[in-house]
Parts: sequence; structure tokens; C-alpha cells
Amino acid sequence: MSAYMMPEMYFNIDHGYLEGLVRGFKGGILKQADYLNLVQCESLDDLKLHLQSTDYGNFLANEPSPLTVSVIDDKLKEKLVIEFQHLRNHCLEPLATFLDYITYSYMIDNIILLITGTLHQRPINELIPKCHPLGSFEQMEAIHIAATPAELYNAVLVDTPLAPYFIDCISEQDLDEMNIEIIRNTLYKAYLEDFYSFCSELGGATAEVMCDALSFEADRRAFIITINSFGTELTKDDRSKLYPRCGKLNPYGLSQLGRADDYDQVRAVADIYGEYKELFEGAGTNPGDKTLEDKFFDREVQLMKNSFMQQFQMGTFYSYVKLKEQENRNIVWIAECVAQRHRAKIDSYIPIF
Amino acid sequence: MSSDRINVFPSRMALTIMKARLKGAQKGHSLLKKKADALTLRFRMILKKIIETKVRMGEVMREAAFSLAEAKFTSGDFGHIVLQNVNKAQLKVRSKKENVAGVQLPVFEHYLDGSDSYELTGLSRGGQQIDRLKKNYATAIKLLVELASLQTSFVTLDEVIKITNRRVNAIEHVIIPRIERTLAYITTELDEREREEFYRLKKIQEKKKKMKVAAEEKLRERKARGEISREDAANLLEEGRDEDLLFTD
Amino acid sequence: MSHSGVKGKLIAVIGDEDTCTGFLLGGVGELNKKREPNFLVVDKNTSRHDIEETFRGFLKRDDIAIILINQTIAEEIRFVIDTHNEPLPAVLEIPSKDAPYDASKDSILRRAKGMFSSEDMR
Repeated sequence: MSAYMMPEMYFNIDHGYLEGLVRGFKGGILKQADYLNLVQCESLDDLKLHLQSTDYGNFLANEPSPLTVSVIDDKLKEKLVIEFQHLRNHCLEPLATFLDYITYSYMIDNIILLITGTLHQRPINELIPKCHPLGSFEQMEAIHIAATPAELYNAVLVDTPLAPYFIDCISEQDLDEMNIEIIRNTLYKAYLEDFYSFCSELGGATAEVMCDALSFEADRRAFIITINSFGTELTKDDRSKLYPRCGKLNPYGLSQLGRADDYDQVRAVADIYGEYKELFEGAGTNPGDKTLEDKFFDREVQLMKNSFMQQFQMGTFYSYVKLKEQENRNIVWIAECVAQRHRAKIDSYIPIF
Repeated sequence: MSSDRINVFPSRMALTIMKARLKGAQKGHSLLKKKADALTLRFRMILKKIIETKVRMGEVMREAAFSLAEAKFTSGDFGHIVLQNVNKAQLKVRSKKENVAGVQLPVFEHYLDGSDSYELTGLSRGGQQIDRLKKNYATAIKLLVELASLQTSFVTLDEVIKITNRRVNAIEHVIIPRIERTLAYITTELDEREREEFYRLKKIQEKKKKMKVAAEEKLRERKARGEISREDAANLLEEGRDEDLLFTD
Repeated sequence: MSHSGVKGKLIAVIGDEDTCTGFLLGGVGELNKKREPNFLVVDKNTSRHDIEETFRGFLKRDDIAIILINQTIAEEIRFVIDTHNEPLPAVLEIPSKDAPYDASKDSILRRAKGMFSSEDMR
């Protein structure tokens, strides 16, 4: 009982080692100084050289020249996956489930890719290598037996960890008829809400940190989906169904967003919430201005940094993955700018520490 | 060389025909030459435009590729889903024909058909970036379609110009010389024949003269021998006119 | 001007993943009735033979009017492109994101160069 009340007290018994490990990984995250070095690179080989002096070491050493951005991207991903799997292999419950939850978001992307492939009768075995390794699941090997969406649904999807999300909101027919992006967002909404309730059950500092992070994610999705849906075939009703209902916007903000017709109305909703108001105020649409999404990214990194710093809770792992993802995107971005000799916006990366 | 000529019987008739043909060939040559010049002019214009457009395309494509990088920065890697989610083309091209100096040049024109199957891509993340990306690539495609028209015209014109030039050259270097040679042949042949005729006439005259001398000689001999009594014996042949025997009035 | 070919024709793409992604987002992608795509994603594992076969396949399809190909990939099968003399389909070489456009390699422009200099001589 006391463990439930104060999980922090007992955190180190089960998860202390891994938390220590992740804190150690922090040293591997690129510093501002590293970024300053990276943006000065003239070529990808330069970039590789600079990365060698960081914690990445010679992770690109075995790659034949000429180096391409996609190779760097793959290698970065691979490194993150190795780290993550190491954590996953050594953890105990409930951290194990928690880490599994993190992988579900990748799993959603993979499943969406596979569904799309099946709908268009593409060879599935071609798609499997393109799936994100963090989101692989056992049934993925068996997926090639499914030739139609119906078979995919009945034979494969219902056995995956995502099955509950499917069963609740997407029927077999929907796979055929619904826009794939709507399926993706429906699943993601179900996933976020589920993850949220799982974290609140864990209680303690984990719940505190994670609920903050997840509600931010939920609200961000609601805002962005609303803005992006303007001028598309997505109806307001369908749009409202995609809002994850575990954020601070729920319920009043979401119902307002559901009625919004243009950017200004979305902005009006955000004005009610102090932290979002700030983001909307800083965002512009002119070239050179930070877009709203950039603002959200900045904010996310801020949030993740804070939650990473909190001790004795599982949010550390979540933030680490998120921060690392952002770092990978940063590196890929810089690599793209270098490769395309397009340096005007090279500084748009989001530094972490 | 001289054997390469049109096989005709060298007559005055043939000469007139050949002269007409030469005239025709020269007219044709100048017309084709004009056509070739017109096409070449157009061709150079197109070439210039192609080079310009290619340079512009370089920039547009660079912009487009960069916006893809931007979109990836905000919404992660969405490439696979796009590659899988292909169904019906929204953007297609129609080809029309344009007539330049009797040459049919294909012209492409793009048009939109059906709905955007990627309308909701990036809905929850990076949608605006992806929108911009789509617009950039649409611009690139427009330019490329334009370039394709130019390039097709280029290839077609190139072919036509080659054919026309070949014709011009053929007329200039084969047909006209051949006709000229034929003409020359006919003229020489006719001249030759005239000379022969002249020579023959001379020869006949000479022979006649000889015969005449011989005959006189003979006559004189015979006179001397007294075979011919009368000097003015009537010569049947020389007699200009016989008295009419039957139809006397 | 007269209309010929009332049915719209397609633009085919042979390129790296990013090039294909971009053009597909631009709306050129299509799967025909046999589920054959009108694009080919070339990565480092794609053999020259595959590229060549696909390219020849596109040349034969009469529903394709324009073939876009990354210049770096065009280099691989230059000999095939050089032998394609028909005006249709038009083969366009485009830059890829990390290799800017090099006019001196372009089959068409090389052809033009030869013509120009000889023509400018006289």
C-alpha cells in the first residue's frame, strides 16, 4: 500500500540501475557547442568527423563513401533502438509495460504503413524492413499471410498490443473505407488516452510528470489537427473524434476547437489557456518566423528536459526517447542542409542542453 | 562520274525537259533552304529556352527538395507512407500539337484530375509544411512539363531539320549536279551530232567533187580515144529537161 | 492546334526516395490495373539491371508521356537514354537533392552542344 502511495521511495529497488544508466546517457546528448561545430561542416564527411568527437563515436565508420543523409538517419535510429532495447531487456515491471507503451506509438505508424500497403496490394515483405524497429511486434513476421484488409484485421491486428485500440474504434470495414490518416489519428488518440490512464494509475512522481507530458501531447495534437483540417474534406464531427481527451483542453477547449472554422478561432481558444496563448503569440507565418509547430517543438523540448531532470520516476525514460528523437531530427536536418548546400535555415534546429 | 546521270535519249525534247527539271530542283532547293532556316531559327530559340528552363529547374528542384527536408524535420519520416499510398494520379498531362512550318510539334499541358490522395497527410504533425512541399513540387512539375514540351519539340525539330537538311543537301549536291550533268551530256551529244553531220556533209561534198573530177577525166580520155564523137552528146543525166512525149499540146 | 490523345497521360519518376516522395505528393503517382506503379524508388540496393528494365518498361508503356529521372541514376544507364531518340516519351533529367544539376551530362544538352558549335562555325 505504501508503495502505491509513495512509489519514489521504492523506485530505486527495481529501477535504480536503469535510471542511473539513462542519466548516464544524458552525457551523450549533443551540447550547444557540438551543434555549433556541426553547422559549420562543409560536407557530410566533415559532419561524420565532428560526430566522431561526440558520444556518437564512429557509428558511421563502416559506411562506404559517399555518405548520404538517409544512411545517417538510419544509423541514428539504429543507435537509439539499441539503447532502448538494452533498457527494455533489463527492466522490471511496471517499467517494462511503461517502455512498451512508448513503443506503441511507433507500432501505430508501422501498422498504418502495413495497412496502406495491403490496401494497395503491395508486397508486404517489402514493407517490413521499412517499419520503425522500435515499433516491431511479433506478429509482424506473420503479416504476409494477410492478403486483404479483412484478413489483416482478423488474423494479425487483433493479436497485437494495439488490438484494444482497434476494437474500440475501428471496424473491419473502416479499414477499407476510412482515410488512412484518420485511422492513424484515431488509433493515436486511443493510445494517448490509454497511456495517460496507465500513468495515472502508477501514481506518484511518474503520474505527475507523465500526465503533464501526455496532456501537452494531446493538446498539441488537437490544435494541429484543427489547423491542418481547414480546407480539407475532414468534417467537424470527424475532426472532434480525433481529439485525444486527456489534455488540459478537455472538455471545454476541445468543444470550442471542434467548432472552429479558421486560425483566429483556434487562437481564441488558445487564449484561454495561458501556456498555449504564449505559443500562439510567438508564432508567425512569415518566412523567418517560427511557426506554431516550431513553437510547440521548443516547448516540448523544454518540458522533456524538465521531466528528464526529475528523479525517481519513469518519465525520465520517456523524455530521453523524445529528446533523442529530437536530436536525431536535428542532426538529420543539419545533414540535409549541408548536403543540399542550403544553409539559410540551418540554425532552425532545436538545441537540447 | 559521267555515267551518273539520268538515263535519257539525248534529244532536243529531252533537253527542254531537263531544263524544266533543273528549274524545278532549284526552286525546291531554295524553298527547302528557307524551311530549314525557319526551323533552325525556331530550334535555336527552343534550345535557348531549354537551357534557361533547365537552369531554372535546378533552382526550383533545389527549393522543392529543401522543403521536403523541412517537412521531414517537423513530421518525421513520412516517405514510406506516401510511397505506399499511391492510387490514381491527380496530375496528368495532355498532349496537343502545334504546327511550325509544316512540322507537328507536341505540346504538353498538365491538368488536375480527381482528388488529392494525400490531403490529410501530416494531419497531426507538419501538415502546413507538407502543404508547402506539395505546392513546391507542383511548381516543379509545371516547369518540368513545360521543359518536356520544349525537349520533345527539340527532338522532333532536330529530326525534321536533319531530314530537311538532308533533302537540301541531296538536291544541292546530287540532284542538281546530276541534272546539270545530264544537260551537259545532252548538249555535248547534240553538238557532237551536229559536228558529225557537218563532217558527213563535207565528206559527201568531197566525194562528189572527186567523182565529178573522175568523171570528167574519163570523159576526156574517152574523147581523146575518140569514143565519144560529139562533145555535146546529150547526156541523159545531165539533161535538165526532156521533151514531153505524151502530153504534148 | 488540334487535340490528340484525349486521355491524359502520366508522368513517370525514377529517383531516390526523396525525389519520388516529393513528386508523389505533387500528385503524379498511379498504380495501373496490373498494380504496376509509374515510379521506381532507387536505393543503394537497386541494381543497374532493375533500373534499366524499369526504364525500358516505361518507354514501352503508351500511357506515359514524360519520364523524370535523377541525373545520378541517369548516369548509370546513360547508354539506354542515349539510344532513346523518339520524341515520346520525353526523358527529363532532374537534379537530386544532394547532386546539383550538371548540364554537361544531360543527353539532350550534350546533343545540343555538338550541334551548336558546329553550326556556329559556319
